[in-house]
Amino acid sequence: MLLALVSVALIVADTLTPLDPLRAFGSAVFGGLENAASAGVRWAPGQHRVAELEAENARLRAELLAARRVTPSPAPADGYRALPAHVVGFGRDGTVTVDAGSEGGVARDMTVFDGNGLVGRVVRSGPGTATVQLATASGSSIGARLEGSREVGLVTGVPERGLLRLSLLNPAAEVKPGDRVVTLGSRDMRPYVPDVPIGAVVAVEPAPDALTRTALVRPFARFTALDLVTVVLGPLPDAAAPAKDGPEKSGTEKTSTEKSGAEKAKGA
Amino acid sequence: MKAIVLSLLVVLVAPVLQVAVVNGPALPGGGPDVVLIGVIALAPLLRPRPEARGLPERGTAGGGAGAFLGFAAGLAADIAPPADHTIGRLALVACLAGWVCTRLTADATTGRRAAVAAAVALGATLAGGVLAALLDGTPWGTALAPGALAWTAGLAALVTAALALLPRRRSFGRVRGPRDRSRDPYAPGRRLA
Repeated sequence: MLLALVSVALIVADTLTPLDPLRAFGSAVFGGLENAASAGVRWAPGQHRVAELEAENARLRAELLAARRVTPSPAPADGYRALPAHVVGFGRDGTVTVDAGSEGGVARDMTVFDGNGLVGRVVRSGPGTATVQLATASGSSIGARLEGSREVGLVTGVPERGLLRLSLLNPAAEVKPGDRVVTLGSRDMRPYVPDVPIGAVVAVEPAPDALTRTALVRPFARFTALDLVTVVLGPLPDAAAPAKDGPEKSGTEKTSTEKSGAEKAKGA
Repeated sequence: MKAIVLSLLVVLVAPVLQVAVVNGPALPGGGPDVVLIGVIALAPLLRPRPEARGLPERGTAGGGAGAFLGFAAGLAADIAPPADHTIGRLALVACLAGWVCTRLTADATTGRRAAVAAAVALGATLAGGVLAALLDGTPWGTALAPGALAWTAGLAALVTAALALLPRRRSFGRVRGPRDRSRDPYAPGRRLA
């Protein structure tokens, strides 16, 4: 009975103020165990080679993401630092555990995507693992826009159906099944970098009021079979930025990046 | 002794098993709750035996050990990543489940134990679902998934029955040391020899 009271006290305490030390302890102990279990399952000869390829895969995904970007960004460089990670645990709260943590540079509010599209964002990171909130979780909301018409909206999770709901700000916006939805991007690239594919519209919902336009979106990322994901750690530092201007390297770096951003926006 | 080892196993391994294995493939209607099953199945084994402890039996003896196991395992499941709900939710449910299960009479038959385990599992899953919906805003359809209810209740009954059929030290007959209680299938027969 005393313990039941302690549980109730814990619930109350956690509702009032997040019990981060407890979570950190759990993440250290159980995160390590989950990592070990998952590594044991994945163990195979040639593991080192696989790890190398996964790192390269993350780098290429990040480059592709940067290359798709049409939003001219205030970031100093046109590229992302990325880290490959495996999904090692599935939660019931619309969250998963990945096996990269603060030791690898993962912090909260970083974009996580897989080969097909957006997976979610990091909500908590322990030493060796991080907790990722999926885009389909009930509490997630992501700034988004239609790829074609650039109409801005908000994507929220519909967890019981594995779909997403897009609410467009402009009630007169044209939206039809098949339209692709991408992320809008946040300030300083946290939590979401711009132009990550989210999904495709499958059905336009009849508008209950004339204030917003809503549509159901099927996500590109395979939420039922998540394995290798990529965490965007941030923009590339200036020195490591891939030189895309060819021989023309005159002027300050700032103007050249501005120019390349403008060129990109024109080309899109 | 065996019960203590098993309890440690439940506290440490069950949450990991839950997130790494059970939740991975999408089972119809949600998977079983491994932590709850472990607590419910082990709780009857944690009864302090009267001859093992020189204490006089009180009317409301037992319950404390099961409640403690439930609390520890539930708290472990609460803080094991990627859990993102209110800490203490599972601890409360598992604590009460363990307490109820330990209050079972030690002489209950296997069938009755399994029935009680299934009932407690059902009640605990329902209570957990209600708490999830109230505290964390989980949609009711997910919180009270019928699949999860069925899996948890069924497996809890099965595992409890299996553990009850394992040889246990009786309060009558010759008292054997803990070393004698090997886990080979012929142990019940050997008792006659």
